[in-house]
Amino acid sequence: MVDFSLTPDQESLRELARKFARSEMAPRAAEVDRTGRFPEEIYRKAWELGLMNLNVPAEFGGTGLGLFDQCLIVEELAYACAGMTTSIIANCLALEPILLGATPEQKERWLRPFCADYHLASFCLTEPSGGSDAAALKTRARRSGDDYLLTGEKCFITNAPHAALFTVFATLDPALRHKGITAFVVPRDAVGLVPGREEEKMGHRASATSTVRFDEVRVPAADRLGAEGEGFSLAMRTLDQTRTPIGAMATGISQAALDLAARYALQRTTFGKPIAEHQAIQAKLATMAQQLTASRLLTWLAAWTIDGGARGTLESSIAKCFSSDAALRVADEAIQTFGGYGYMKEYPVEKLLRDAKLTQIYEGANEIQRIVTARELLKRYA
Amino acid sequence: MEIAVCVKPVPDPDTRLRASPDQRTLDPEGVKYVLAGYDESAVEQGLLLREQIPGSAVRAFAFGPAPRAPEILRSCLALGCDSATHVAANEPVDDPLVVAAALGTVLGSRPADLILVGKQALDDEEGLVAPALGALLDRPSFSSVTDLRWSPDRARFSFRRSTEVEVERWEAPPPLVLGLQQAWNDPRTAKLPNVLKARRMPIESVPAAPGAAAGRSVPLRFDLPAPRAGARMIEYSTPAEAAERLVRILREEAKVFP
Amino acid sequence: MTPAILVIGELREDKPTDASREAAGVARRLVGDAPVMGLLIGSPVEPAAAGWCRDGVDTVRWLAEPPAGGRLAGALVPSLLALLSEGSIELVLLPSTGFGRELAGALAARWDAGAATGVTAITRTAEGWEVRRPVFGGRATETRILSGPRAVVALRPRSFPAPEPREAPAAAAVQAVVAPGPWAAGPTRIGSEPVVSGGGPALGDAPIVVAGGRGVGSSDQFRLIEELAGALDAAVGASRAVTDAGWRPASLQVGQTGRTVTPQLYIAVGISGAIQHVVGMIGSRVIVAINSDPSAPIFKVADYGIVGDLLQIVPALTAEIRRVRGR
Repeated sequence: MVDFSLTPDQESLRELARKFARSEMAPRAAEVDRTGRFPEEIYRKAWELGLMNLNVPAEFGGTGLGLFDQCLIVEELAYACAGMTTSIIANCLALEPILLGATPEQKERWLRPFCADYHLASFCLTEPSGGSDAAALKTRARRSGDDYLLTGEKCFITNAPHAALFTVFATLDPALRHKGITAFVVPRDAVGLVPGREEEKMGHRASATSTVRFDEVRVPAADRLGAEGEGFSLAMRTLDQTRTPIGAMATGISQAALDLAARYALQRTTFGKPIAEHQAIQAKLATMAQQLTASRLLTWLAAWTIDGGARGTLESSIAKCFSSDAALRVADEAIQTFGGYGYMKEYPVEKLLRDAKLTQIYEGANEIQRIVTARELLKRYA
Repeated sequence: MEIAVCVKPVPDPDTRLRASPDQRTLDPEGVKYVLAGYDESAVEQGLLLREQIPGSAVRAFAFGPAPRAPEILRSCLALGCDSATHVAANEPVDDPLVVAAALGTVLGSRPADLILVGKQALDDEEGLVAPALGALLDRPSFSSVTDLRWSPDRARFSFRRSTEVEVERWEAPPPLVLGLQQAWNDPRTAKLPNVLKARRMPIESVPAAPGAAAGRSVPLRFDLPAPRAGARMIEYSTPAEAAERLVRILREEAKVFP
Repeated sequence: MTPAILVIGELREDKPTDASREAAGVARRLVGDAPVMGLLIGSPVEPAAAGWCRDGVDTVRWLAEPPAGGRLAGALVPSLLALLSEGSIELVLLPSTGFGRELAGALAARWDAGAATGVTAITRTAEGWEVRRPVFGGRATETRILSGPRAVVALRPRSFPAPEPREAPAAAAVQAVVAPGPWAAGPTRIGSEPVVSGGGPALGDAPIVVAGGRGVGSSDQFRLIEELAGALDAAVGASRAVTDAGWRPASLQVGQTGRTVTPQLYIAVGISGAIQHVVGMIGSRVIVAINSDPSAPIFKVADYGIVGDLLQIVPALTAEIRRVRGR
């Protein structure tokens, strides 16, 4: 039987995330968006409450939640500030390859000390020459005795200026395409690892993003994740897990946009009545609500599918792509509802549009999501 | 030391207030009942004292119907209380003296060196439960208490009580009933793993004593104020003009000073 | 049959407080010409009793402070119970101050009475005492019936008119009632500090409060708030942002985690109007907001608003008040 109600556990964790989002994140969202400051005190508090390493099993000091529960939390956090949320959930992305591919000894070595204190980790896949064509990455891993030497550059790396641990994808030989890609875990203090300066971004300004340069960085073979050539599969399986929360993030943005627009529409009057009584505005609100509800349900479906043990590639690519496109439209309509005020930085709606835009681009651009969706779909007809 | 904390389920502070269909009370439809306000300070204070006094236990008590009373007891457990007791009523009762009588009956049979209560509930703002509990249990009671501390060598609590004109410093030995205004620190937030763990902890349920059902203070009407029109804005071209206009209005129209 | 009422009053500087005088006036209005018993807590002071009789009570008794050297509501209850049965009292009125509320709770529990605090209106109906009181931080008002044979009602200060002095005050029959001292080895008051109030009257019962928020900008500029308060003989208040920043002590904080104030006039300067602050001042009779942000929520709860640079507006206001007050 299909049941859309949440369990008491889920209600509780959603409540906790909501409380944190509204009392700690929301009050600082505008300031951090304006200044681009990295609000580490908020991230530290998120870690203290157990909102950071959501996917890491409790035995290693994480929170150990399934994907559905993670999505409930991410939606609540993104409602208050998508940029902070990106930095808070970046650990889930960076640690997922370890969860999927590390040996028990490696997990013990990396995850436990990492989760025992507040630390950030960065997932290093994308490169300046192209993000979507992941198999074509250029960062090289050359064997040197028992070690590897990593050389190359990664870009758009979330939290990189502040991270303690990096999961890095490099190729043994570009000619091998995806068969040459291998994953490594590199600590911040490795000689030759240099984060670049922070990028100035359109949105998600609470999150720090930079390049990371690898200049003959020596990595012991014991810090390789999985076998040589397994990196591409690890990266793709990681993205299968982390795509869905981006749908939840977009849903949170849409919910915030709808709430702001509806409240404003009830309070703002033109032609002698609240604009909420004008049908043009009602139509906007109705469309926004449709987009929002569909986003949430698609995200829940994807998370439920994956929690059930399936890979969920079709469901998660649909959820991520639809919800992020929807968030952009819903934020856009919210600005239109506010009229001129919506365009002003003094009001919170224009930030939602800037934040929504990134959800279409990162963790697999929507163009790629559509290819993935179509590929999965066509398999069923072939 | 045995520390009892009494908490009351109150509507989430963000609740949109609406009168019930019979216009007598707040409409409980869709209202989420939470641990909030001074009660959070009471729990925090209890937990801080437990950290300070080895071998202490903090036990939470809530009177009221399910599910709202057990729900906020779960919040207390998630924050770190050692046990939770639900003094079960079939219906919501909002007469503070009935609440005090029901809690007093249960607490009277428990070893509680210190009973902590929020100085008033966030919803009804009566502030009667702490002094009533003190009177019923024949223990000294103070409200508007801050800066509560325990001096082990003197075996006494020290605390401050705010009055309208001064802040008094007091010392008192247990047993004691205190209505907390504020803890030393901001109340802590429950950690996610503890929230989930609290869901699996037992909550003791005891029926409210017979007679603690009906109140002598019964609600008749619940009115929402007519929405305020918003401030009348004073137009001006210079600060001096703004000041002169405001002062004239305050003297002649609002008559708040001669 | 006219109910018998006991009014409990508090003294400050050997005079009944304004709230105690208001309570006497309310009792007088409720019973017409029937006798009203008054009880003052403290050491007997003849003029105080006489003045209070002009406000509406007919006889005044005294209840000595307990030996603890401070007010301990529970310790007064046994003496009060004796007095209540002697006078066949049905209703006790007292000010809804911090101590008044403690006394109301302790007394009602032992007297088996219904009770209400923070009451802003009271009438006698066939069912009992009908009381009205603000709830939810002033966001709603509830009306309740205290239906039993006995009731204790704490009246919110400044919600009732100051009583008109009666022409022929009855002679005060002063009689001392000594409170027994239970818990003699118990609580001890070891000292007190006046509420830090920036030199003016205490925040808790000042008729005018001038409060500053984050918008004031700095600890130094907060002096502008104090100067305005000085010109108005007002108490100084602050929002949590100010006390958290350490500009002024936490004792000045108005709001959910600070004090609740209900002055005649509340001037909020550079305070945005978060609900946590508003619940502490919404009961004020007249609210003035001065803020640079026209969309600040404080303007929704204020009666009068000025949008502008408070560094200019506040000194101009201080000067204007000094001018009209001739100093």
